[in-house]
Order: sequence, then structure tokens, then C-alpha cells
Amino acid sequence: MTENGFDTSCGASSGARILVIEDEDTITEFLKTGLKYEGYQVTIAKDGVTGVDCAREMEPDLIILDIMLPDKDGFEVCRRIRRRDSDVPILMLTAKKEISDKVKGLDVGADDYLTKPFSFEELLARIRALLRRSGRAVDSTELRVVDIVLNTETREVYKGGKKVSLTPTEFSLLELFMRHPRRVFTRETLLNRIWGYDYAGDTNIVDVHISHLRDKIGDKPPCLIRTHYGVGYAFYPGEGK
Amino acid sequence: MWKKLSLRTRLTILYAGLLALLLTILGVTFFIDTRNLLIENTASHIRATAKPIIEHWLYGENLSSQAIEGTKKKPDSKYLKKISRQLARDLTSRNVVAIVLDKNGKVIANGKVLEEEPAPVSPNPFYYRRAFSGENEVTYILSTDNKNVLVLLIPLRSAPGSDHVLGVVQLSSPLTPVERILYRHGLTLAVGTLITLILGTALGLLLISSALSELRHMIATCQSITEGRMDQRVHLPQRSDEVGQLAQAFNRMVERLEASFSAQRRFVASAAHELRTPLTALRGSLEVLMRGAQDDPATVAHLCHGMYREVLRLSKLCEELLDLAKLEISENVQKEKVVLKEFVNEFEEQARVLSQEREISILEGPSVSLKADPNMLKQILFDLLQNAIQHTGRNDRIALGWKLGDNGVDIWVEDNGHGILAEDLPHIFEPFYQGKKVSECGEHHKGSGLGLTLVKAMVEAHGGSIEVRSEVNRGTTFLIKLPFE
Repeated sequence: MTENGFDTSCGASSGARILVIEDEDTITEFLKTGLKYEGYQVTIAKDGVTGVDCAREMEPDLIILDIMLPDKDGFEVCRRIRRRDSDVPILMLTAKKEISDKVKGLDVGADDYLTKPFSFEELLARIRALLRRSGRAVDSTELRVVDIVLNTETREVYKGGKKVSLTPTEFSLLELFMRHPRRVFTRETLLNRIWGYDYAGDTNIVDVHISHLRDKIGDKPPCLIRTHYGVGYAFYPGEGK
Repeated sequence: MWKKLSLRTRLTILYAGLLALLLTILGVTFFIDTRNLLIENTASHIRATAKPIIEHWLYGENLSSQAIEGTKKKPDSKYLKKISRQLARDLTSRNVVAIVLDKNGKVIANGKVLEEEPAPVSPNPFYYRRAFSGENEVTYILSTDNKNVLVLLIPLRSAPGSDHVLGVVQLSSPLTPVERILYRHGLTLAVGTLITLILGTALGLLLISSALSELRHMIATCQSITEGRMDQRVHLPQRSDEVGQLAQAFNRMVERLEASFSAQRRFVASAAHELRTPLTALRGSLEVLMRGAQDDPATVAHLCHGMYREVLRLSKLCEELLDLAKLEISENVQKEKVVLKEFVNEFEEQARVLSQEREISILEGPSVSLKADPNMLKQILFDLLQNAIQHTGRNDRIALGWKLGDNGVDIWVEDNGHGILAEDLPHIFEPFYQGKKVSECGEHHKGSGLGLTLVKAMVEAHGGSIEVRSEVNRGTTFLIKLPFE
């Protein structure tokens, strides 16, 4: 997965609970904001002891664990958590690029690791992969809204039982809308999320693709995809018919 | 050209040259000596043979039997003329030919009769006059036609020991036999010298090679170190000569270099690590903003605030890294006269602002002045004070003072805060060292990890040193020893 790749499975309506054990304020803040925005429930623990306690009390679906903690190192925390809960996926954050650290992390029971500085998008992808693997709070691969069925694995879309052929961009747009019903996306956000952070073109391209998408899924007023003038677009499944 | 030759070749050439010179001098001396000895020997042999014959003819029975008129039984020139032929003949042999000269230098008799007898050489007036005036041992060598002839002159006296010289006998003998011996001798010497020289040079080459083989080993080691294998060392059998000392000095140097390289590597690794955290926060925050958080003003403000903090942290880290790099160059220390009392008084007010509610006391020492960079000195005190503030509670005490030390001033900064763990104490001046925290100081303060490293570097740039004493829950004392100059 590249930073600017078309990560289409954007977010989790599942509301998986994530425990972040990290002492750097700025990092916990953006993780909290970002993960919440993606639909996860986030709890922050600022040191190892609190982290172990939180892990016991809240039984999270996934733990993000920093190796460098003020009171004890992440390996020890990881070992302690594993002693109680053998299942919970643990994603380690390391600052060192040395292989020994990664190997050690995986040895003490971490399921995956990311090296700082990491891409948030990659973190999301790892979280989804870990959640899927662990069988907890799985993102559904089939999204159904009214008579539209979208399969994220086969990347096929059916409208009233008939297959609709979409371009990758249109597919990504539709998936994003279906995963976040009623959320208003500005054109800038859509550009960043679908076209990539470094896309420097005009936001009009969003309007063009939305218009094509509407045509293909036969979106007639009152529309599923509605325009909020001066703001952006949102998806309203309930009032579709 | 000479300088381009290898040390081994040069040493061998020098060694061989010296050997050749010595052998030549020795050979030539020996040769000349032998020649002189042989000639002298020949000369004295000829004289010894001639003496009885001359005495026989001059003072023997002959004189009495052929007594001339008068009663004096003393030979005179007439008598000499009479006997000269027989005398010369008797003195002549296969190797020696004799001629008799009268007092005018005229040849009055020639002993050569037979073909195989050598021809006499013509008399040299310079020599025979000397003989005529009574000198007994006149001997010289005459070189003619590539032949050397030994010439001996014997004065003929009227009576043994008398000053009256009647004539002179000139005995001449070719030096051919002596020269044959000398030629053999010379040949033996030359061949011997040559053999000795060749053997000596070979041996010298061997010795020099073995002495230099360790140098070549060191060259090979140097090359492999140049290729980046810093763990290489010169392994030599224990020896205390210059090569051994060189090897030891070399090993020490490489060890020092390796240590400083790995310190540098560790430093860079730690610095990179320190950069990662703010970069992670910045990158993550930006991504979260771009993924949609940008649409919520409250979140934007929140994340921006955090990002700004991280940027400040990065800037501070950059500045301190630059300061540290600058300190490596001692010219950056601009020393001037600092009167300590005035200096600390100026500093006091800022210190009070910084220390907030903490009690800060200045304990003035003797009035001294020293040569220091005032900006750096201020920075040192400021950093130590900052450090003390970080490790004390709001109602703790901080004290600053100075006293005279050995050949300088000892400035101390003391607090009664949390103290530093004994296991952390040796490492606190290391860059980015994060000690185990004794207790949380309430406000979560994190420095760049370079503050004390910078303080130590600044003190050392002044030629001073810094010491730290600490006891957990009792407090910490930093002691800076600065020289006067």
C-alpha cells in the first residue's frame, strides 16, 4: 500500500475499540482524532502500567503500542498483555529501524509493527488487516444500501440485481459514501482521500466523477448522493426512494 | 629517484655500500702493507747478502795480501778501482745486478755478465749523492717500461763506520717475484671481498626484510581499515623496539578512532530517533487533517496547536545540534574578561523570573575575574538552572555560588529536588540520554536531550570540566571548574 494509493475501504462502521499506549501527546492527539474520524472508539494510555490496566479493563479489539514508554519498554508491556489476553491484535510502533527490534517485537507477541514516522493511511490499512485476521469487529465486505450492493472484495456493484460497471475512482467514491452515510465530504477531503494527498488538480474533477457516478447508478431526485452547495457531497440512504 | 625506492631497497643499498667501502679500505690497507713488507724484506735480504761480500773485498784478507805501498791497511779509491769489477761480479746474482760508482758518480764496474742476469738501471744522482754523503739505507723503486725495479745504494767506506766514502754500490733487483705474490694476494683479497659483499648484502636484505615485514603487515592492516573494517588491529609478537612501539601507538589510535566513530554513529542514530517523533506527529496530524478533519474548525485548531509545538521542538533540536557542532571548533569561543560577581548579579534577575515560586539564592564567593565567553557562560548557567527547575517542585530551593578552586573558579548550581538515580548519573551528559524518572514532576516536561551535553561541551571548550553529585530525593549539585585563563 502506498501513501497515495487508492485505499478504497475507508473506515469502519464497526466501531472497533482501539487502545493506544503512547506517551507523546502530539502523536496520541492525532491518532485519537484520526481514528475516531474513521469510526473507531479510541482510548489513550500514557504509560505502560496504565496501558496494561486499560487492556484488562476495557478488553479492546486492538492495541497500538509504542516501544519507548516512560516507565517500562513496550516489549514488557506486550508480554504482560499477552499473559492475560492471548488474542488481542497488537500493533507496535517503533522508532528504531533495526531488524532486531522488529524481530523482538514479534517474538514477544506483537502481531505487526510500524516504523515512525509512518503514514496514517498505512496505519489504517494495518489496523483493518489485523482486525480482519483476528475475526473481531470485521469490516463487512458487502455493503447494501437500498437496492445497491457493493462488494469490496470482488469490486462489483449491483443496482437492483443488475451489474453496474464503474471505474476505480467511481467505485472508491461510492464505497466511501456507503461506509459513511450522511457525512458531508468537502471536495478537498474527497480529493485527498480518493485522488491522493499530493493531487494538485482542480476540485472540479470531483464534480465530474460524482456526475458520472450518479448517471451509472441511475441516481434520480431525491438523490442518494446529494450536493451541499458551497460545502460538498453527502450520501442519504434512508430517503433514497 | 632515491626517494621513490622502497625503504628496503634503500636500506640494502646503503648497507651494501657501507660494507663495500669498509672491505675496500681494509683490502687496500692490507695490500699496501703486504707490499711494503715484501719490499722491505727483499731489500734487507739483498743487504744482508751484500754485506759480507763488501766487507770481504774492502776490509778482508784481500786488502792485507794485496797490500799496497805504505803501511796503512786502509782501502782507497785506487784499491777500490782495482777490486770493483770482482766486487760487482760477486754481488751480482740471478735477481740482483750490482754496479760500482766512484765519487763522481761514474760507473766503474758492472756486474752483469750472463744473459739471464737483469740489466742494471742507470744511477740517479739524487739518490747516489745521498748515499755518497754517508747515508746507509738509501732504497727506492724505479718504474721503467711497466717494470718495477728495487734499487739499493750502499756506501763503500774506507773503514767500517768511517765517514770517508770511497764509492757507492748500486744493487738493483726487479720486483717481479714480489709482484707475482702481490698479484695473487690482491686477487684473493678481491675475490674474498666480492664474496663477502654478496653474502653480506644477501644477509642484510634478509634482515631488513624481516625487520620491515611488520611494517608491511601494518600497511596491509591500514588498507583494510581504510576499507572500513575498523575492528582490525596490528598483531605483532610482543616487542619493545620502535616497530613494536609504532604498532602499539597505531593500535591505540585506531581504538580511539573506532570509539569516536561509534560515538558519532550512536549520536546520529539518537538524533535521527529524536527527529522521528516530531515527524511522526506532524505527518500523522497532516494526514488526519487532509482526510477530513480539516472540515472541523475545533479539530483543526487542536491539531495545529500540536503541530506547532512539534515544529518548535524540531527547531530547538536543530539549534542545539548546530551549537554542538560549532563547539567542536574552538575559535567560536570568544573569551573576554568576566568579573564573576557582576556577571552573576546581572544573571540573578532572569534567574528569578525563570524559577517562578522556587526559592533561589546566590551565595557570593570571593571576587574574582576570569577569561570566558560571556554568552556561553550565561548559557551554561541558564541551562543548569533550567535543569534544576525541571527537577524540583514549586517550593524547592535552588542555590548558585562560586569558590576558588585549583587554578580556577568552581561554580556550583545546587537544588534539593528529586535527584538523579545512581545508574543514570554516569550517562546524563550523553546526548539524548533519557534516564529512568525518579518521580513525575507534575508537569510533563521533555527537553531535547541535548541540554546537559551542550553544557558539558561549552565547559570543555573553555578548558574546564563539569562534575555532578546527586542523591535521590535529596537533590543534585553541578560543579563547573573553569580555569582563570
